[in-house]
Amino acid sequence: MSKSGKWKLALLLAIALTITAFAAWKMSRDQVVRAPADIEDYLFWQARELTEFKLSAADKAVGLNGLKGKWSFILFGYTYCPDVCPVTLSTLGRAFKILEANPDAAPEIQGIFISVDPKRDTPQLLKEYATYFNKKFTGVTGSTAELDAFSRQMSVMYTIQAKEPGKADDNYLVSHNSTIFVVDPQGRIYGRFPPPQTPEEIAEIFLKMRAFYNETGKKRWGIF
Amino acid sequence: MGNFLKLIAFMALSMAMLYARAADTGAEILDPWVQAAPPSVKVLAAYMEIKNNGKKPLHLVSITSSDFGQVEIHRSVMHGNMVHMEQQKELVVPPNGSVTLKPGESHLMLMKPRKTLNSGDKVPMVLFFKNGEKISIAATVRSGQAEEASARQHGDHSGHKGH
Repeated sequence: MSKSGKWKLALLLAIALTITAFAAWKMSRDQVVRAPADIEDYLFWQARELTEFKLSAADKAVGLNGLKGKWSFILFGYTYCPDVCPVTLSTLGRAFKILEANPDAAPEIQGIFISVDPKRDTPQLLKEYATYFNKKFTGVTGSTAELDAFSRQMSVMYTIQAKEPGKADDNYLVSHNSTIFVVDPQGRIYGRFPPPQTPEEIAEIFLKMRAFYNETGKKRWGIF
Repeated sequence: MGNFLKLIAFMALSMAMLYARAADTGAEILDPWVQAAPPSVKVLAAYMEIKNNGKKPLHLVSITSSDFGQVEIHRSVMHGNMVHMEQQKELVVPPNGSVTLKPGESHLMLMKPRKTLNSGDKVPMVLFFKNGEKISIAATVRSGQAEEASARQHGDHSGHKGH
């Protein structure tokens, strides 16, 4: 081989290597940013940090610190909701039962049921109500101002419907979001399960979410 | 003597109920159940399938239960991820058809409980139809339909409940 031929070969090799390295870097970078297709729909475009809030459980106040270090499944409702709320709570309760089989994930999960109807739901009643569906559920509520502030942070709406004429004072209906929200151990809104949910779907997708979270955390440290 | 009278009353009642059932030609109620909830809960929901074997539409207009002060027909309505309930004046079952009340859709809202209900308890109810027909049922308190469905898949452990 002539001298110029060797140079050409070396140049070609160098170009090929550069392209390969760039492609590998791009791929690994994409893996960090892009979630697997099967959990993409359940994740928020970007995990959003919650700011301090205050709600009340029967035996303690619940704020941002109560979410940190755990995966929190947050749902809204009220106990005078006989149809949708028990279904959603028992679905999540059964998902938690499935997750009990996973010794790593099980200690990290908690459920928080937020009643948007503090007039009828006391923290004591909510404790009994929430733990009925799963021991890892906490029932909380707050003043209208506290509930409004937290709902705004979570970007959910709720309305207390006007009492119909001829009905008793405590007979009114509530309209609320029936999504189950997932807050990550850093206190960021991470994912959501829109209705209708199934226990198997929640358990399976959550484990993938958690794996993705753990993986992306490590990779970010590795690359940057 | 008191017991004897009770027995007579019971027999008379049973016969009256049998007669009521025999007289029913249109409506048939399948698998009535009540969603189990913590004891302190003030409002429960009942579900069932209402079959209409007749040639005219059936209108369910009112329901009574000795365990509850008030029973209403309600429907859960979803718009986006928001959900709320709407009271229905009546529930219409088409001729030779059926309507299924199920979680997340139509249900009977049981209000003002007179006693605490536990899983396995039976809730007596009387369904009144516009054509004058009425039917007595006993709905079983149990948790979740999905759980029941999966239990059925693994062989029904709940035992057959005869009518």
